[in-house]
Amino acid sequence: MVATQTKPLPTTSSRSTTPLIEIDNVTKIYPSTAGDNVVIKDISLEIHAGEFVCVIGHSGCGKSTMLNTVSGFAVPDKGEVRKNGQKVTGPGPDRMTVFQSYSLMPWLSAYENVYLALDSVHPTKSKADKDHIVREHLTMVGLGEAMEKKPPQLSGGMRQRVAIARAFCLYPEILILDEPFGALDAITKEEMQEEVANIVANHDATVLMVTHDVDECLFLADRLVMMTNGPGATIGEILEIPFPRPRDRSQIMEDPRYYDLRNRALDFLYGGLEIE
Amino acid sequence: MSASLPSKGTMFAGVNITKLWKDLLPPTIAITLFLLIWEGLSQSKVTLLPGPSSLFTDERTRTLLFFPFYDRGGIDKGMFWQTLASLQRVAISYTLAAIVGIGTGIAIGTTPLLSKALDPLFLFLRTVPPLAWVPISLAALNKNEPAALFVIFITAVWPILINTAVGVREIPDDYNNVAKVIQVSKQKYFFKILLPSALPYIFTGLRVAISLSWLAIIAAEIVMSGIVGIGFFIWEAYQNNYISEVVLALVYIGMVGLLLDKFMEWLQAQIMKGQ
Amino acid sequence: MSEQFIHIENAEKTFPLGGGKEYNALKGINLSIKQGEFISLIGHSGCGKSTLLNMIAGLSLATGGLVQLEGMMVSGPGPDRMVVFQNYSLLPWLTVRDNVALAVDEVLTEKSPEERKEIVERYIKMVGLIGSIDKLPTEISGGMRQRVAIARALAIQPKVLLLDEPFGVLDALTRGKLQEQLTRICEETGVSAIMVTHEVDEAVLMSDRIVMLTNGPGSKVGGILEVDIPRPRKRLEAVRHPSYYQLRSEVIYFLNQQKQVKKMRARKVPVVSRHGLEKVNLEIGFVPLTACAPIAIAQEKGFFTKHGLDEVSLVRESSWRGIVDGLRNGFIDGAQMPSGMPLWMTLGGPGESTPIVSSLTMSRNGNAITLDRRFLEQGVHTLADFKKVLDASPEKPHRMGVVHPSSMHNLLLRYWLASAGIDPDKDLELKQIPPAQMAVDLKAGTIDGFCVGDPWNLRAEMEHTGFTIARDVDIWSGHPGKVLGCRADWAAAYPNTHIALTKALLDACQYCADPANAQEIREILARREYLGTPMEYIQLSPEANIAETEHQPIAHHVFAGEGVNRPSRTEHLWQMTQMARWGDVPFPRNWVEVLEATCQVGVFSTASRELGQTEISYIRNSIELVDGTKFSAEDPIAYLNSLEIKRDITMAEIPIGPGRKAA
Repeated sequence: MVATQTKPLPTTSSRSTTPLIEIDNVTKIYPSTAGDNVVIKDISLEIHAGEFVCVIGHSGCGKSTMLNTVSGFAVPDKGEVRKNGQKVTGPGPDRMTVFQSYSLMPWLSAYENVYLALDSVHPTKSKADKDHIVREHLTMVGLGEAMEKKPPQLSGGMRQRVAIARAFCLYPEILILDEPFGALDAITKEEMQEEVANIVANHDATVLMVTHDVDECLFLADRLVMMTNGPGATIGEILEIPFPRPRDRSQIMEDPRYYDLRNRALDFLYGGLEIE
Repeated sequence: MSASLPSKGTMFAGVNITKLWKDLLPPTIAITLFLLIWEGLSQSKVTLLPGPSSLFTDERTRTLLFFPFYDRGGIDKGMFWQTLASLQRVAISYTLAAIVGIGTGIAIGTTPLLSKALDPLFLFLRTVPPLAWVPISLAALNKNEPAALFVIFITAVWPILINTAVGVREIPDDYNNVAKVIQVSKQKYFFKILLPSALPYIFTGLRVAISLSWLAIIAAEIVMSGIVGIGFFIWEAYQNNYISEVVLALVYIGMVGLLLDKFMEWLQAQIMKGQ
Repeated sequence: MSEQFIHIENAEKTFPLGGGKEYNALKGINLSIKQGEFISLIGHSGCGKSTLLNMIAGLSLATGGLVQLEGMMVSGPGPDRMVVFQNYSLLPWLTVRDNVALAVDEVLTEKSPEERKEIVERYIKMVGLIGSIDKLPTEISGGMRQRVAIARALAIQPKVLLLDEPFGVLDALTRGKLQEQLTRICEETGVSAIMVTHEVDEAVLMSDRIVMLTNGPGSKVGGILEVDIPRPRKRLEAVRHPSYYQLRSEVIYFLNQQKQVKKMRARKVPVVSRHGLEKVNLEIGFVPLTACAPIAIAQEKGFFTKHGLDEVSLVRESSWRGIVDGLRNGFIDGAQMPSGMPLWMTLGGPGESTPIVSSLTMSRNGNAITLDRRFLEQGVHTLADFKKVLDASPEKPHRMGVVHPSSMHNLLLRYWLASAGIDPDKDLELKQIPPAQMAVDLKAGTIDGFCVGDPWNLRAEMEHTGFTIARDVDIWSGHPGKVLGCRADWAAAYPNTHIALTKALLDACQYCADPANAQEIREILARREYLGTPMEYIQLSPEANIAETEHQPIAHHVFAGEGVNRPSRTEHLWQMTQMARWGDVPFPRNWVEVLEATCQVGVFSTASRELGQTEISYIRNSIELVDGTKFSAEDPIAYLNSLEIKRDITMAEIPIGPGRKAA
């Protein structure tokens, strides 16, 4: 078992506004021949507009399932997810998801991939407007020069950049990132974390992200949600990450709280971890 | 097992009948439709080809269909014997092709010099269609039987040889590095690493080759008169305008081809269990 | 013959490219590895770390130099150097058992079949996979496959285990588990291991030494770090060891540095001359501490511009390390530095000698020694009390933190301890720790105290984790704190700029010393581009009323006043003797010459005169210290000899002079 004590849930912050996303007592069960598999159990979490929330936990702890109930790809068996007080019933462009696999159309150029998404979500916008938005976002992720290239000509990091530009250009109410940097090398990962932090600040975006990487959370998140092990995974502890923005990787290490938070997150992940 | 199981499918002798039914129904319907259309076309005289029903209505064909094992001497034999004769030729030549193909393939795959020397020649030879070999082999060997065997051999050997060579060349560096570090003996390297690693490629070659050699035997036998074999049987039936016999022979050829491929697939699964 | 286990000398590797070109991957690699050591090779992709590993494995031989194992040249692969590859390289047609058995049967031929079977099972058990022994690789997870590969490697009992990014393709958590497991196995079996990785935490957790490689082409060893975290190691204990984050940030610093090297080289800006100054576009380095006030003020209040330096940009470095590298590589023109650093760099403290000059002392005092609050509860109020506590528990390791060997904190703390008969290296352990982490370590109880500048002493008091046991004014009142440092060749190339820079900072120092400006300065320093810390932790004058510091009045910086800013040879000499005393640098035989060159009083005098300040008469002859001794510049060698607690002192001739060109 995880050593860290569970603290009462949820940690409703002092904010008075209604949260953008409310995950209210959500349970998700996958039936199987060997009996029902309760993936997540009674999860409650509120995400306010403009917040960056990271979810961390062991593989198979239901992080992605939780994300899917927000994106609408999965329907909770118990409880519900609300956006602005309205129950979420299915996927929609207001809750854009970026997956670890880039899910780009290989026969379309970077520009066309982004344009296609924008065009199908906002068909009424003028062509010039759309062109401007697409270019702006591709430039923001550092692909200003590579817009006409097709995914097979791009590196993994650049493909993920296209996927991120595509998600951001729709100005979703909440952006859902499912281990977006999991497949990238360390340097590219850091560069992209910085780019994402910049765009998030620029768009005042709300982000819910699943990751394995404690340092990524400390750099990006306002709150770090740590999930207990499945089956029946639930929220174990939530850490507030108080570093002022814009953040600088080496400057946050000058804050004593950095070490404290990092050690607590490591404790949570590795504490009492049995090696089979 | 929970009580909800019966709703998911009826079990009979461990076989899920419902599932089997679901899998078999679409192809059954498709085949029936195909036969009906064929029958319809030939009934309405759109084509002169006899319909599938002629297998039963034509007397000669019916005999062939119901008595595959008769043997009236000479080349007047039942379908079973005709097929078997062709299969024997395939078996001999294919085995030979497999031995030569795998052996040479490994030699080429492991010796870059050999590979450089022979690659262009092989690439050229393998593009020659099987039928083109028939006159050459007849001229060279002078007799029907060995000529037929040679045509099958020469058709089957290329895919085996080339795939084997590629398989050997493509052994992942990792495996070779492990072998180098633990200094595996040559013999052990061959049986424990080289062969298993190249096996998927070799089997791809073998499966392509078996289809090709079955294809080649028909071609070879059609041209070479006076031998027992399903290819010559077709040719003779056509000469005598027994078209429904040709149809029957086609069914046999198709079935045997299918069975051969399935057999190789099964063999591959047996040998490469778990991969 | 070398007695080293693995000995690599001047090794290099060149790969032929098409068209007669070649790629030089590694160059001049020197590395010696002891039996039983766990070594990590870390660097960015393409730095040749795998190439180096393959050279030891014999899979790809060095094209020059020596690679030896137990005195024998490595001429090919062999089972005494077993490799674990990133993608497991298990044979997928063999079961777990057969994969291991293949290697064992092939290598341990002298053993009987029964023994071999037992070995196979023992090692599979060791990696915890006995339950999956008859499964095929495709039937188990990636993490388990890598454990099989590790079992296979260890089962043939190699002399050294070579690991090529063994956990690279696994997810973070599986990787974390395997790191701990492999650490345990290596500790139990005592096998020597060399691991290629790009994961900083992995390297720190697992290694005895971390070898950092520079970027290619022509990669070389950029630095080697000793990891002094005790074994057996567990992750959660290791991360709380005071060395952990220090080492981690050293490696991160190195990797970042490598990443930026290309950018920095490309950036090399042309020199801009103006207003009769040789160079007006300057990059000035500082470390975010309260003592950086003069530099921040010179920038914010326009003192640089006032003296014609109208293109100054400040470079914020998180550690002194960044300042040292910046100056050595010529990326920065000048910097704030601990007062001992000019001599430390000149005398080769960081490895090679870089002559540095100092023309200005920017601050004095402002430091204090903080001890864990629990000592207060044990009744520790004085140094003598502290010694009693130390003497009472000799078995218990005591640790204190300092920031840099050349900083006055270190020298004063050591002097203070030694004055009471405490040997700072034998009775205690002094560790280099970044200040932010000291606060955490003090709270967690992994260090007993520290000597550092504010805001950290004040912060410990205010957070009730520590208390000030001694202030610098008690040890040596008026000691130099931070000074201005520039490369000697730079100063020689841009003499007027050097004077202008000194003038600007001297002006700024006076501005900082005026209590009327204190509030404004605190506001500026609290900003993110400087300290980025709440204003209550920044105090400038003794008048500031801090109710929380019930034990000692707070240490405060002095930025200007009589004799404050003038650089003093006697002071530099004292620091030279102290750094030599503790073995950080050799004591130069030509110490007079070194002092003359380093301590540029002339530049200060010119600057001061041009500013119309007539305080020239001030001469400090000797320094009075806590133990009542007076230090004078007459015979430093006799002084060193008279000290009781000291390390072995080496003497060396340090070449000084215009040998080097400006960068």
